[in-house]
Amino acid sequence: MRLQAYNPAWALHAAVRAAATRWQRQGLLVDGQHAAIDAAYPLDCYQPAWLLRAVLFFFTVLGCAAAAAFCALPLLNSSYSDAGLTAWLLLLAAGFLLVLELIITSSRPYHAGYDNAILYAAVLALLGLGVQAQLAVGGAGTLAGPRLAPFLLYGIAVLGAATVRYADLLAAALVFAAALALAANLALQTAAGPALLPFVAMLFAAGAAAVVHRLARGPHYFYYRTCRQTVKALALATFYLGGNYLVVREGNAALSHLPFAPQIPFAPLFYALTALIPLAYLYYGLRRHDRLVLIMGLLAVAFSVFTLRYYRALLPPAVAAALAGALLLAVAAAALRYLGTPRHGLTAAADDEAVPLFNLESLVVAQYNVPGQVPAAGFQFGGGDSGGGGATGQF
Amino acid sequence: MPPTFADRLLADLEARGLLPPAQAAALAAYERQRPFSLHYELRALLYLGITLLSGGLGVLIYQNIERIGHGVVVAGIAALMAACLAYAARHRPAFTWGVAPSPGLLPEYLLLLGCLLFLVLEGYLQAQYQLFGTRFGLAAALPTALFFGIAYGFDHRGVLSMAVTALASWVGVSIAPLAAYAQNDYATLSGPAAVLGLGLGGLGLWSDLTNHKRHFAFAYLSLGGNLALVALTAALFLGPAQTGVPRWVALPVLLATCAGLAWYARRTQSYLFLLMGAVFGYVAFSYLCFEVLGFIDGVALGLLYFPLTAAGVVVFLVNMKRILRIVPRR
Repeated sequence: MRLQAYNPAWALHAAVRAAATRWQRQGLLVDGQHAAIDAAYPLDCYQPAWLLRAVLFFFTVLGCAAAAAFCALPLLNSSYSDAGLTAWLLLLAAGFLLVLELIITSSRPYHAGYDNAILYAAVLALLGLGVQAQLAVGGAGTLAGPRLAPFLLYGIAVLGAATVRYADLLAAALVFAAALALAANLALQTAAGPALLPFVAMLFAAGAAAVVHRLARGPHYFYYRTCRQTVKALALATFYLGGNYLVVREGNAALSHLPFAPQIPFAPLFYALTALIPLAYLYYGLRRHDRLVLIMGLLAVAFSVFTLRYYRALLPPAVAAALAGALLLAVAAAALRYLGTPRHGLTAAADDEAVPLFNLESLVVAQYNVPGQVPAAGFQFGGGDSGGGGATGQF
Repeated sequence: MPPTFADRLLADLEARGLLPPAQAAALAAYERQRPFSLHYELRALLYLGITLLSGGLGVLIYQNIERIGHGVVVAGIAALMAACLAYAARHRPAFTWGVAPSPGLLPEYLLLLGCLLFLVLEGYLQAQYQLFGTRFGLAAALPTALFFGIAYGFDHRGVLSMAVTALASWVGVSIAPLAAYAQNDYATLSGPAAVLGLGLGGLGLWSDLTNHKRHFAFAYLSLGGNLALVALTAALFLGPAQTGVPRWVALPVLLATCAGLAWYARRTQSYLFLLMGAVFGYVAFSYLCFEVLGFIDGVALGLLYFPLTAAGVVVFLVNMKRILRIVPRR
């Protein structure tokens, strides 16, 4: 039996077909090549548009919840017992996993919404067993307590197995979060733990990024690509937030249960990290053409500006917003003009890989540009806001 | 350095003999040298800048209104609106019942901005000078007429959505996709909202079937269909005592609307309308089973109904391409 539940070829085939379509549009393939590639890389799995995926997910969650409640009737309606609860959770986990495997082999969904929902139902049942065991020994305790580690290890095992078999990105993200919590838990049990926690988080994030980078060399590059991207985004965020002055200062106060957040040791180091990490992300993202790092860099810049304003507001908000807006407008307009012709390996032109999600233009305009509000008793004009332009650039 | 995404694709294609080595090498070089697109990032920054600037300036004007004076603000908004609309009018395409050629990004955006400024101006005049007094109908009818005229004259779908929204607010309901759920008081508005929604849907069907601005049909049918479905469902659950709409009217009309949307979805090969029909059809069908027919009794049977029907809906949606012979639009 294969370790991967879905056919690992699907991810490769989808990637090749997308690239071939792009090359065809740019006239890089000769006649017949595109058709030959499409024939050689068939895509016989089912992955509908995101809206349909969301609806399928919703209905499957509804069905799974009702099925779970139905199964609970004979086990739990007489009187509550621990054994009954365990049996119910085991039954649910086994049942959902069985149904999931059968559905994957029979109708070949590929992260189509309903298979995700069944997987989450099974994982929830398995994690419920862990919670039950944890409650039996008196709860999980605090983040610094010694009782949390076994539960986190169990969670990492369950979610890790789900990630390896189903390449689910939510499971991958939760593995990262649980492992980060475990690292923090182990650090906090030492005497120097609280002071070292930011560095532990940054080290952990760097380690996770290195692992992801290393895994990219291995087999199944395409199957786990979205999982790796997810963990990479989380690692970048954790590395930045671990060194962010606001997070460290307020987090330190929260961990020590202080009523206010006093100045922290090594403050200049955290000033420097808050300022430099976003710039490093931006530089790396632009230099290495890595969109994920670039976007995380832009978000980090925004959070660093917020951090600065949180402690040192130089201007009143309205003036600051107007000036920053004018500056941003000028910089973006200048960059759009400058990069109108590609320079330094960058361009302002649309990458034709990006396909608009859906023709939602008219709905978006209607949603965010409310003209007169509904007249009501005591109705006054002028209270409502008109929102932003709401245009998507896809006219 | 590990092989990149494109390198791996090309290696696989070459290994299968689908690309000659020279072409694979050329494609690899092309992928390496292809410039990195900052299209969406720069546009996002541009919009963020516009939002911050306009928001900051708005607050500054608000804080200093005593010194500036309302007349200056009104004149400023009016001048800006006139400039936007005049620019758009200069680039107006000739009228056609089909799709008019796009005059470009800037005239289209400025037309939308001009219409938004009209609403701002109208709201400002009403708030400050009570221009319309209590004649709210007139205040909503004015933008309705103006926006419908602009939408058809300039062939602009964004303005059409604003016109439909203004028309709905004239009737007294919110039609925006999410506001239709949250903001309307269906106890009093179910009937008008359903009639308006069905009327807009009918208008959309007319546009599509008779080829009068066929590309407007999506906006009419999505906004009107959504409103009609929500209003009819609310009428079903709230009952005639509150809404004045009898259940024996609401339920058949709701089911017929769902069926109509499914038919239209099949005609235009659109997922959205099919989903609307399926979701509301499921709600109406469940209502029929539980409340009207009353054949489902007892907790166990009720709990069995939901897993089975939810599985049924999932099977229907997964296989709808085959069931309705729909080829999804790529």
